[in-house]
Amino acid sequence: MARSPGVGPSSPAISRRGVLQLGGSFALLLATGACAANSGSDSDDSTSGGPTASTLRIAVSSYLSSWDQDFVGFDLTALMMFKNVFPYMIDYGVTTAGDSQILDTQNITPTFAESFEPDAEQKVWTLKLRRGVTFASGNEMTAADVKWSKDRAFAAQANVAGIYRTIGLTEPDQVKVVDDHTVEFHQAFPSALTRQIQAISLYVFDSVEAKKHATADDPWAKEWFAKNAPTGGYYNVARATQGQEIELTANTGYPGPDAPRTPTIRISVVPAASNQRLQLQAGDIDIALGVSQRDIEDLRSTDGVKVISAASNRQVAIQMSVTSAPFDNVDVRKALAYAVPYEQIINNVYGGDARAAKSPVPLDMPGYDESGYPFTHDVDRARAALTAAGRASVESELVFEADNEEQQRIAVQVQSEAAKAGINLKLTPLDPATLGERRTRKNIPLQLTSGQLWVNDVEYMLATSFVEGANLNYSNYTNAEIEQIYEQSHTTVDESARNALWQRVQQILAADVPWVVICQPNFNLPVREAVAGWVQPMDGLARLRYLSRSA
Amino acid sequence: MRILRFVVRRLLQLIPVLLGVVVLTFLIVRVLPGDPVRSILGQNASEADAEAARARFGLDQPLWRQFLDYLGGLVTGDFGTSIQSGGSVGAEMALRIGPTLELVVIAVSIALVVATLLGVWSARRANSVGDHGVRLFALVGNSIPEFWLGLVLVLVGYSMLGWFPAPSGRVDPDTNLTPLTGAGLVDAALTGNGPALASAAAYLALPVLTLVVGVMAPLLRSVRASALEVLNSEAYTAAAAHGLPQRTLLYGYLLRSTLLRLPALAALVFGTAIGSTVLVEYVFSWQGFGQWALRGLLYRDYPVVQASVVVIALCYVLVFLIADVVHAILDPRVRI
Repeated sequence: MARSPGVGPSSPAISRRGVLQLGGSFALLLATGACAANSGSDSDDSTSGGPTASTLRIAVSSYLSSWDQDFVGFDLTALMMFKNVFPYMIDYGVTTAGDSQILDTQNITPTFAESFEPDAEQKVWTLKLRRGVTFASGNEMTAADVKWSKDRAFAAQANVAGIYRTIGLTEPDQVKVVDDHTVEFHQAFPSALTRQIQAISLYVFDSVEAKKHATADDPWAKEWFAKNAPTGGYYNVARATQGQEIELTANTGYPGPDAPRTPTIRISVVPAASNQRLQLQAGDIDIALGVSQRDIEDLRSTDGVKVISAASNRQVAIQMSVTSAPFDNVDVRKALAYAVPYEQIINNVYGGDARAAKSPVPLDMPGYDESGYPFTHDVDRARAALTAAGRASVESELVFEADNEEQQRIAVQVQSEAAKAGINLKLTPLDPATLGERRTRKNIPLQLTSGQLWVNDVEYMLATSFVEGANLNYSNYTNAEIEQIYEQSHTTVDESARNALWQRVQQILAADVPWVVICQPNFNLPVREAVAGWVQPMDGLARLRYLSRSA
Repeated sequence: MRILRFVVRRLLQLIPVLLGVVVLTFLIVRVLPGDPVRSILGQNASEADAEAARARFGLDQPLWRQFLDYLGGLVTGDFGTSIQSGGSVGAEMALRIGPTLELVVIAVSIALVVATLLGVWSARRANSVGDHGVRLFALVGNSIPEFWLGLVLVLVGYSMLGWFPAPSGRVDPDTNLTPLTGAGLVDAALTGNGPALASAAAYLALPVLTLVVGVMAPLLRSVRASALEVLNSEAYTAAAAHGLPQRTLLYGYLLRSTLLRLPALAALVFGTAIGSTVLVEYVFSWQGFGQWALRGLLYRDYPVVQASVVVIALCYVLVFLIADVVHAILDPRVRI
């Protein structure tokens, strides 16, 4: 092989020059790139000045961790994507609340399915599929796909299997194929929650395609589904640039009501909230799904941008451990409930854009009843409650999520006011894993929580938060009557009878005070002015099919 | 041959070092508080579901068994399965390493060249206005946090001037770049995709600049100090007194002696740059190795943390090995 001239230790001058040439080339490349970016930016400017209505750009804070809904971690970006790319057989309708549109949790309608109806006892539910509906592969969506998907969900023993227990579905055998387009779900008991539970669980995989990628070691094709997007939902994934952008195209074969309004949606990942704000201002994105509260306040007065505000069922609360001192004493819990500065938090943390809560049951949830809920900010009554507990003062830590500015600000204000009543709090921010572990061990005396329930029903709330062993029952709260009401609610389908149960639940919770419910902040979404059709999801997972942008 | 023997010896020494890293990482990540399984379960998960998930990831096995399985996987190149995503850690890492290495290698390379030129230039004009300017730049560069500098550069370069693309990725998706290594420039060059090459360079400009400023500042001070030491040495003074030409003084005496320290310094700043990428990747939505490892740590995704620490350790050891070899080539006094 001929040796290239000037290469090697005998020619150091050339080598140095080579280094300089390399650096110069790169500088030139960067300059070229910058110019290219500049020209690209020009073209984007024209886009932002008059974009076509065929494309909508949305910024999210992170890329999804996996495409496999059955085995994915608790990843909100992924769960939002799944709502739009998996074919869900039934889904919530839309209703109006004030000036905003919200998902109607009382009205669940077939989408990819033709019908989903119970028998007279409301124990056997029959799902009828529409004919001729296909996945992107061209395979028809059949009962076999539904069966395979549910068998997979039970095998996963994760999200769906867990939630199915609340409606008496625990075994794969309870899902039976009747014919190519009919599936029956045989529940162990009738439940008023069935439609709502199935609305969030009845998604279907393309089983014919999946089986091509299944192996003896991986019978459910987990490896393949983790990397390959599902098809057949309201939208299909046209292109996914790992970590950067997902391009969705509307599924023209969607057979149900409310077809996607925008043909193409581009979802780009912008982790830094400040960068989302800049891109929204510049018109490079139409919707920013990860902007901070402070940036939202600034954006209200920005030209070309509007902030959609909608009542939300997200609840901010303090959960008190009823099994560890000092909050194992109900009077201490009452003292804290009186010491929390509710209005001050609503004004200072949320700029007044939150609703005061008067019950552990979220506002807008059927059965909500604030009568008999005594707690308002009253330091004198807080001191009196502490005295009734036989304590002049108590010490505790108040745990909240590290890097959660909202919770940190709330914690500081609670700490300040609680100290006036003799409750001295040490603020403890924790990272997600440590917080998760301590929650599992139930050794957090006091913690800030924030979240919304995926099913807008008190039975579901009890199942997740107030019965023994419930996953979100960080208070370790148990009450025999609540347990009995919960059991009774499984088979109580009459609305007025259920509301009577919920009224009693709220009386018990007001007396036992396992939680201090602080408020329900409104949902605020900054978007470009031309964007329309936002429907506030009561499960926090945006339905993109309603969104549009005028030309 | 001497150098080859040295490299082989050092590579063999790598084995116990990496084994130590593997053992320590495996133990430390499990000592940390936090349950990785709970973070992947839904609102209705029971303890039975949690147990099933633990069994799925082999976390129900005794520690020694888990370690042997992990070690066995490493030998066959299997880094395990991510608890968060359910995907192969090796495959995820392969997607993430390229973008980060691209960022770090380019930034460190630029910083080395500029710091050398500017440091020597500054030392030769010690106490002049230019020298003070360089020192001030080094001081400021040392003091500015990278993430803050990145945000300022985004504000100015993208939002105000509009010269650079939005900080939302590594290349314009519309260029249809076929990913091979994950490093945009390399992939664009390998596939002959001109628009992607220009786009990748444009996306690289601001994050690279952010890293360059942070990395270059300590290098600059060190090169300048080293050059001043040479300029004040008896050897250099004697050479200058003998009337040697300026070019010989500069290249034969000053630059060569000054560069002797550079390989070790470069290895050090390479490590610093890898650490800095965590925040730079966040600001510029780079989705590289740093963000991936950080997320793994936050959620105690054991296989991800283990793999990322081993790879970082490997990078460190290799970079220092290269630095030693380069040093030996530059300095004939060094015996290896």
